[in-house]
Amino acid sequence: MSTDVMIHADRLSKVFGSYRALDNVSFEVKQGEVVGFLGPNGAGKSTTMRILTCFISPSSGGAKVHGHDVFDDPLEVRRSLGYLPQRAPIYPDMTVWEYLEFVAKMRGLDSSTFRKRMKKIVEVCGLAQSLGKDIGTLSHGYRQRVGLGQALVHDPPILILDEPTSDLDPNEKAELIRYIQDIGKDRTILLSTHNLNEVEQACARAIIVSKGRVVADGALDDIRAKTGRVRYVVIVDEKNALKGSAPKEEEVRALLAKIKGVVKVKEIPTDDRAHGFELAGEQDGDLRGELFRAFVDKGWILLELRRDAQKLEDVFHELTRKDERLTRGKAAEEEEDEDEGDEGEDEDNENDSGDRDRKG
Amino acid sequence: MHTLYIAQRELKSYFTSPLAYVVICLTQLLLGVLFFLYRGGFWQVDRATLDRLFEYAPYGLCLLVIPVITMRLIAEEKSTGTLEMLITLPVNDWEVVLGKYLGALGLVLILVLSTVVYPVAMFIWPWKLGAIDWGPVKAGYLGLGLMSAAGTAIGLLISSVTRSQVIAFFVTFATLFTLVVLLGVGGEFAAKAGVGTVVTFLSFQSHMTNFARGLIDTRSVVYFLSITVFSLMIAFRALESRKWK
Repeated sequence: MSTDVMIHADRLSKVFGSYRALDNVSFEVKQGEVVGFLGPNGAGKSTTMRILTCFISPSSGGAKVHGHDVFDDPLEVRRSLGYLPQRAPIYPDMTVWEYLEFVAKMRGLDSSTFRKRMKKIVEVCGLAQSLGKDIGTLSHGYRQRVGLGQALVHDPPILILDEPTSDLDPNEKAELIRYIQDIGKDRTILLSTHNLNEVEQACARAIIVSKGRVVADGALDDIRAKTGRVRYVVIVDEKNALKGSAPKEEEVRALLAKIKGVVKVKEIPTDDRAHGFELAGEQDGDLRGELFRAFVDKGWILLELRRDAQKLEDVFHELTRKDERLTRGKAAEEEEDEDEGDEGEDEDNENDSGDRDRKG
Repeated sequence: MHTLYIAQRELKSYFTSPLAYVVICLTQLLLGVLFFLYRGGFWQVDRATLDRLFEYAPYGLCLLVIPVITMRLIAEEKSTGTLEMLITLPVNDWEVVLGKYLGALGLVLILVLSTVVYPVAMFIWPWKLGAIDWGPVKAGYLGLGLMSAAGTAIGLLISSVTRSQVIAFFVTFATLFTLVVLLGVGGEFAAKAGVGTVVTFLSFQSHMTNFARGLIDTRSVVYFLSITVFSLMIAFRALESRKWK
């Protein structure tokens, strides 16, 4: 393990009764990385974060944060990180200032350091107006800001944020993401969120978990390529054509479906002057030429044609869909042709969840 | 230090909510009625003594004050999730338990000490109702203090095994009711079965009577202190058990 690994999770498993919340989760986060931690609800994101912050212990496996073992040295682990739990639970009977002061004292900051840090925190979290207010009277968004403030009070090298943007309005979200990009330059951040746009903005890397297993881990571009597909966007003029009549929606769809290499055709919303479609094709091919030729043959006017990496959202859906279907009580019978993308990660872990009692 | 910060925060939070004021006022009122009016009250006894205070205070403390004060200690933090914030600060679990305990005990002791106004007002200033023997008064307060320590620890323990404040209140109430009332009464019946000494020894009330007489019995001190330590240790284990569930 090289020294710049800040978070190292090693085959973490967690069993609650008969429910396996985590199943052999391993990953590493290096210094200066901002990693998006993604997954549907109940996938094990919060459980992982709670293990990393030593709030709960894994049933088996281990983890190191900043080089400290979560079993042997929980206090050092907690000292080196700032943690914002989901929904930012904070004492409602304290004022914002009192609470942050309490946290600072608990973290061993003297009062002059605390005041110095507070200037920065007030600015970053936008707390200037609410320092004297009771936390109980604040909106969720503001409470979230206070929660972020307390995670930053001691200027930690590692931040673990569990859905930090969930209660924020769009402006606040954008502000927070900008801030995360900013501090992420010299800090390590593990960030869980449902909002994939935020990950695309703030993170260079993502880990996707589903049903307690890591189903994807890597640079965003690699993850996008994970399905082995690329995405094409085609927009056709609906009112005019160079020859013949203007195309109807079904005609375009039929044409697209016939082109070799097109895997999936999906209509996307456009204004009433154009038809828009999204296609999926193989990663290593390029269908743009053929698409263009097909439209020219028909005499239809192509307003837009572009080839993208697949959106993170699509990959996310694809990787977590099967599990989601099981949750909803439907058998995973259709669409079995798509890869699940979790090969190699979990072949030999069927029965090793025996509670390893390493009391800390 | 962590322990003190937590205790401080805890104690302060009682005073930012109406809870502390309500509890203090109500108990003072109740105690006043019991002391001066109930069954002829203090005047009927016709002696310069605080016996009655030490006789009734345990009921008020154990059946009202301690259950109300301790019910929220950990149960509330569990149900609102603030426990996660607290514990993921660099603190040991035992510091959390001890801090919370000291905060709650602080309030109980403030309440106990507020009754010092009785002996002071009646026997020193402004009234001088007679020469009081201060020995039993001091011993009595020591007894009340030790009993509060034990009762609060029991309350904390029960609050640490549930998420519901209501359940914590009733279970604490029932436990302390058993220790204060049932075992006292039960002692007489148990005497017939030959286990009277055991049952009486387990009752809070029997120890309090000694203290109120001015008798500081080591057994009583050890009794209350062992309940305290034992309960705190279990509370610590209960808090720690979240990790393994």
